[in-house]
Amino acid sequence: MTRDRGQDVSVELRERLIPLFGGDIAIERLALLAGGASKEAWALDLRTPQGTRLLLVRRAGGGVIHQQTLSLEHECRLLEVAYAAGVRAPQPYGYLGEIVGRPAFVSERVSGETIGRRIAQRPELAGARAVLPAQMAEELAKIHAIPADRVPFLEAGGPHDVLTRLERELDSVEEPHPAIELGLAWAKSRAPDRGDVVVLHGDLRVGNLAVTEAGLGHVLDWEFAHLGDPTEDVAWPLVRAWRFGVDQMRLGGIGEVEPYLERYNALSGRHISLASLDYWEIVGNLKWAIGALTQARRHLSGQQRSVELAVIGRLAAEMEFELLHLLERAG
Amino acid sequence: MQDRPRADELAEAVREFIETEVLPTIDDPRLRFRALVAANGLGILEREIAVGAPLVRREVGALMRLLGSADSVPDDLDELRRRASDLNRELSRRIRAGDAPEGTLVHLLATVADKLRVASPRYLERYR
Repeated sequence: MTRDRGQDVSVELRERLIPLFGGDIAIERLALLAGGASKEAWALDLRTPQGTRLLLVRRAGGGVIHQQTLSLEHECRLLEVAYAAGVRAPQPYGYLGEIVGRPAFVSERVSGETIGRRIAQRPELAGARAVLPAQMAEELAKIHAIPADRVPFLEAGGPHDVLTRLERELDSVEEPHPAIELGLAWAKSRAPDRGDVVVLHGDLRVGNLAVTEAGLGHVLDWEFAHLGDPTEDVAWPLVRAWRFGVDQMRLGGIGEVEPYLERYNALSGRHISLASLDYWEIVGNLKWAIGALTQARRHLSGQQRSVELAVIGRLAAEMEFELLHLLERAG
Repeated sequence: MQDRPRADELAEAVREFIETEVLPTIDDPRLRFRALVAANGLGILEREIAVGAPLVRREVGALMRLLGSADSVPDDLDELRRRASDLNRELSRRIRAGDAPEGTLVHLLATVADKLRVASPRYLERYR
């Protein structure tokens, strides 16, 4: 980002913030935290008559937006609904329209550890790990209770639709992956009937939470939200890739599944079984294996050149290996 | 014939440069992460140069047995890679059609383990 463009962003941003925070404001600091072709994140310190506010501006990047993710306007709207429902989401302040030609919204900037490996392994977060399983269950239960008609822009799908979409994404990779095919075939023959269809976060796991020594601070990264079977969300943090090296702790490298599931069932009134978690854990591994392959294609196609995206294409084999072991165990 | 360093030695030299000279100077955690990923990518390249050819030969042999193919195994590496891709396509098609050959799961466990010997050998150790 050149100085000039940064200044343009700063000038337009201030104008758009006036309706939200009043005219007596000044930008004390504006720093690009994460670039990338799809979405940017800017740290913004805004001086207001009530004191300095620490804000986060999410803005579209210059490239093609990742398919199957919410637009920034919808992500902001969802955050508003979730925040009002008492979910520990960062407080959104409003959609800003286009800032120098790209849509953006502003929310509070929260603190806390977000790096999965540290949350799973750092000694000073041991106390947080003790309470996180129940707290994750509580947040999921609140999210799943959000009335779907408040977020009509979310796409809906039953268990079979999930598999159809994954198969289509795998085909778009144009590279044969028999291990993934075997997992898809297994899942198709055992997919549950369409039951409850609820608001899903879509990516709630260790690594997408802001965690303090007291436990879960905030639930982040809402762009994969959709409507679907609640078990899809409950099983997602079990996927081995999200255990960050602490493999024996099946829930995100931080805890056991049973108390988490018990808490979720008690709060939601549902009766999700360990067996249905097993099914959706396999689907989760399929999702992330195919996700890794499609991310590498973003690099290979030139949509977003990145060494990180390139290497992740090779790491899909990790998810394939886990998938095959889960299939072997499931029989 | 190119002079030394060989391709694997060059990849190793660049990886060592990133690890010993670049990484210690980086404070920005995101840049640091990408530098680690880059070094990891070079490690993958080193291992592929070392064992890639015998592994793809082994995969083609296993796929031909699984799918009952009586063709000969090609010698040329590019030809081998094409054959592996064709046979994997055939296996994928059969699995999707509900016609997976007997022994598919065992075959895939071995083949994916071989991919990890190049891509992520330490991950493989976590399953012991």
